[in-house]
Amino acid sequence: MIVLDKNGEKLNLMPLNVGPSHPATHGCLRFMAAMDGETIVASVEEIGYLHRGFEKMVERGTWQQVVPYTDRLNYCSAIMNNIAYCRAVENMFGVELPERTKVLRVIVNELSRINDHFVCVAAAFQDLGGTTPFMYAFNPREEIMCIWEKLTGARLTNSFARIGGLYRDSYEGFEQDVLAALDSTEKALKDLHACLDRNRIFLDRTVGIGKISAERAISYGWTGPCLRASGVASDLRKDEPYYDYETYDWEVVVGTQGDCNDRLQVRLAEIEESVKIVRQALKRLTPGPVDIVDPRIRVPAHKLAYQDMEGLIGRFKSVYEGIRVPEGEYYCGSECANGELGFTIVSDGSGHPYRIKVRPPCLTQFAAFHELVEGGQLADSMAVLSGLNIIAGELDR
Amino acid sequence: MTAEEIFACLEEKFGAKRETLDKWGVTAVVSAAYLHNAVEFLKDGADAKFDMLVDIAGIDYLTYPNHEGPRFAVSYSFKTVAAPCVRVRLKVLVGEDSLKVPTISDLYANANWYEREVYDQFGIVFEGHPDLRRLLNHVEFVGHPLRKDYPAQKRQWLSTNDYLLPTLEKRLEELGYRVLQRSKEVEPNDNEFLEGSVKA
Repeated sequence: MIVLDKNGEKLNLMPLNVGPSHPATHGCLRFMAAMDGETIVASVEEIGYLHRGFEKMVERGTWQQVVPYTDRLNYCSAIMNNIAYCRAVENMFGVELPERTKVLRVIVNELSRINDHFVCVAAAFQDLGGTTPFMYAFNPREEIMCIWEKLTGARLTNSFARIGGLYRDSYEGFEQDVLAALDSTEKALKDLHACLDRNRIFLDRTVGIGKISAERAISYGWTGPCLRASGVASDLRKDEPYYDYETYDWEVVVGTQGDCNDRLQVRLAEIEESVKIVRQALKRLTPGPVDIVDPRIRVPAHKLAYQDMEGLIGRFKSVYEGIRVPEGEYYCGSECANGELGFTIVSDGSGHPYRIKVRPPCLTQFAAFHELVEGGQLADSMAVLSGLNIIAGELDR
Repeated sequence: MTAEEIFACLEEKFGAKRETLDKWGVTAVVSAAYLHNAVEFLKDGADAKFDMLVDIAGIDYLTYPNHEGPRFAVSYSFKTVAAPCVRVRLKVLVGEDSLKVPTISDLYANANWYEREVYDQFGIVFEGHPDLRRLLNHVEFVGHPLRKDYPAQKRQWLSTNDYLLPTLEKRLEELGYRVLQRSKEVEPNDNEFLEGSVKA
């Protein structure tokens, strides 16, 4: 297309379509850029290629049946989504969880965060042509995945949290496995920092690329590591503490530049903080129940169903009719790996959710994508995209 | 300022009513006419600046038990980024006959996509929105799937992408360029459609 620029100069721009299935877009994303040579002059995005109607589907089942669907939001840290959803519903009930559940949830939350950040940084490197860091990052990730296997029976879509508790208690040897995974996480962090901190090619590709100011990022509703990379110390684990996060000794990681490099470095530093939290949480792990005792919220154990009438009735009603969440409207956001994952929940007091609206952290970040890439080179757009860690499952729902 | 104090201000200035369904936080129901002013007040006017729009959710009350009043509602969640986090929600009731809400995309950058999503899923029109297209569903999609009367099992035949070129031209103009000659691809070609597809 022929255009006149601000100085009245005639330019011949080429519209270039990228996606929806491009090797570097990690899922189905599409954008169209007006190119002046290698430079992106303007860009527009289209999303929705992975839209599965999450919000319509959950209205058809019971409250407990939503949990497996939440796995498929951010599938790099599935347990975190389970916990975020269960926390929202538990808050509507106003129940207090047993101590052991809180600590276990903190541990699996932070291990998921480590996993998610490793995937993001590894994939970002891969997109820029570096295959070695991918191997470094995926070693500890594999160990955590093996813990998930033992703990939940699944590697990717775990469905571990339950409303009012957990699917089950941890297994024997869980603490040792977690400690071993933390050790290899720290080793991998060292290797990764050695790979990227002074790597000329990597720095050239990421420093000053895809910059966004704190003000603009807030206006776009950015949360999580991407917002913190722009220098805003906003973290729901500190701002609206839950599961006693405020009692652990850790720092909110903040960047300065708000560029692609900061977004990746913030993630690496957050892994360090997560390791700190998990080590402290392991010391707090004392034996005790993991489920609350209330058949109206948490289904009674199998053992009880075989032993007494009430247990059988509780199990039957809870499975067939669903638990009855108090009538009302509620919004609850939790700090997930990518930012604030929120659920706006409307309940009519029946066993089925009336309406659940997900607030995915990726959506707001991808909405700003055109501002990040305009004026840069086409190749930079891939660095920007992987630095944002867009997960299509969560973006499109 | 606490959320309660904010609500008192909203009540006084914009005649906001407390939503009784929200037993856990503060939700103010404002009329569509005052929505833009109320949001502006939350963003810039109050002592506690609600600098982040967290979410916009549409709600269809068609099958809600014992519901009286307009069928739809649009619910806005705001929060302050500075700790401690203060949250407040605004709600606008939308009748089936009007289906119109003023846009707030000039105040918050992310409102643009959120409003497109609500339009897509519920068919609520945001007046003054710069680019009100479907966001998650396909350009050819007929109907609004999150309405309670849309059957979940319904299937539709969808075949083409969004035409992003007109949008791209619009974006260029926003950036100060003037498009002299359009690309040929802007005008959809009949050969691009599969048999049976809807030409939107």
